[in-house]
Amino acid sequence: MTETKRETRLYAGMTRRTLCVGVAGAAALMGLGALNLTPKQALVRPPGGQDEEQVIGACVRCEKCVEVCPRGVIAPAHIEDGVLAMRTPVMDFASDWCDFCAEENGGAPLCVAACPTEALRLPAGATAQGTRLGVARIREDWCLAYAAAGCRFCYDACPYDAIDLDANGRPHVVEERCNGCGACEAVCVSLKNGSISSGATERAITVKPLPQA
Amino acid sequence: MKTKTIRILIPLAVLLAAGVGFVLHTGLGNLSAIGWGDIALLCPLGALGTMLATKTLVPKALISLAIAAIAIVVLGRAFCAWVCPVPVVSKLRGIFSKRPADGAEALEPGNECSPAVLTDDERAALKRAAGSCGSAQDACAKKGCASCADVRAKLDSRHLILGGSLLSAAVFGFPVFCLICPIGLSFATVFLIILLFSGGDVTWSLVAVPALLVVEVVLLRKWCAKICPLSALMSLVAKANRTFKPAIDDAACLETGHGAACGRCALACEQAINPRHPELGARWSECTKCRACVDACPTSAISLPFLPAKGATAPQGARVQEAADRADDEAAAQG
Repeated sequence: MTETKRETRLYAGMTRRTLCVGVAGAAALMGLGALNLTPKQALVRPPGGQDEEQVIGACVRCEKCVEVCPRGVIAPAHIEDGVLAMRTPVMDFASDWCDFCAEENGGAPLCVAACPTEALRLPAGATAQGTRLGVARIREDWCLAYAAAGCRFCYDACPYDAIDLDANGRPHVVEERCNGCGACEAVCVSLKNGSISSGATERAITVKPLPQA
Repeated sequence: MKTKTIRILIPLAVLLAAGVGFVLHTGLGNLSAIGWGDIALLCPLGALGTMLATKTLVPKALISLAIAAIAIVVLGRAFCAWVCPVPVVSKLRGIFSKRPADGAEALEPGNECSPAVLTDDERAALKRAAGSCGSAQDACAKKGCASCADVRAKLDSRHLILGGSLLSAAVFGFPVFCLICPIGLSFATVFLIILLFSGGDVTWSLVAVPALLVVEVVLLRKWCAKICPLSALMSLVAKANRTFKPAIDDAACLETGHGAACGRCALACEQAINPRHPELGARWSECTKCRACVDACPTSAISLPFLPAKGATAPQGARVQEAADRADDEAAAQG
């Protein structure tokens, strides 16, 4: 391919400089790809995103699911969630929760319908109740009920009876019934009502990723 | 309105529309996946990456690829000049440097091979070269212009990077380039700002995403011409494009009509195409239909007709270019 008789040596039609830029760029992308071999944080994904390998593999980070969510509970993952996960969808129950668009789309999540690459995909007949996005956890030292404040917002909000109150009116999560819908986290007022003074960085009840199988 | 202004306003309008759509939960999407509700036209590189990574055929991705291919055959690389936000973001460079971002671009090494002034000898040489590209390329190389020796190469650094990004996606199992795509990062920046103000979402991404974008398109000076794998993909498909090819009115052109030296069209072209002497510049498949040559021509001799005028004598340049392309292809096949 190279023709030395020319003053400029060409490599497959490219100057050395062009070749170097191309090879360096391609190598950088291979290196970036190797990030997928590093350990990853578990994240609470939107409906249909429970197969983490599929989410990472198919998501083109178009953020369409974030956009279409009528309740604004899907957010792009941030760099704190891992470089690889950045801009992939995660659940954010700060102001609302997920019921698979029961009102808005008859129980078929709009995010799954909007996903152009099937990074979010639900098996046929999947229901909100039968799909576990995560599981709620209570930080007893931050929970107002445990500080004998008589709070039971999460108990009242849970649509699946997944929170029990004990004899002292303190909430406990019933893990078998919890599907991580976020209703409890969305209504939890602990952060607004003083738990921050005891060092809380998030609400007393939050949805956490399911333990890895 | 001036072409240059329109080419800034359209990408800004696209960013704005995506931002408004994001706030209103419309599902309008952005350039990574544009559409309404369930309908999505996926970025062709994203579509390829995601299918290679998951080793599955995704219907929406396949349809998107087909539509993108048709659009590129019909419009060439017009996306690059008229819609893509990257050239607009890269204008930030002009804010920080004293040199004007545009004019300087054309005069940088890499385009200097385009002869601004042709001597009589060179013009004669060009005439002889019509039909055989080799001698024209030699003439170019003899001018001691190292960086433009490969301006007519079939493949360049962008294609290697395109290959690298697809290979990496297939090997490591995720669409690797999407992670750093400056088009995606442009929209991500808009969305991050919206989320900051609407939801108080404070994160290091607010720094990391714009910073990566700036590194790519402001600090790496030639993202579009040397690195962008999407432009590489488009230029490969655009080989089949025949529309909006610069046509020169030979009677009005200073060189052919008046025997004067000019070459402003070649200097104006951001893709290093030489409309007057195509065999000395980059291939037509790189043309982004940006109309810079049309605007630069002092005698308004250049137009961009949808299709080459029938019956009219094909511009000498076009014939030379086609012959040059053919010769290159043959040489590549042999070599």
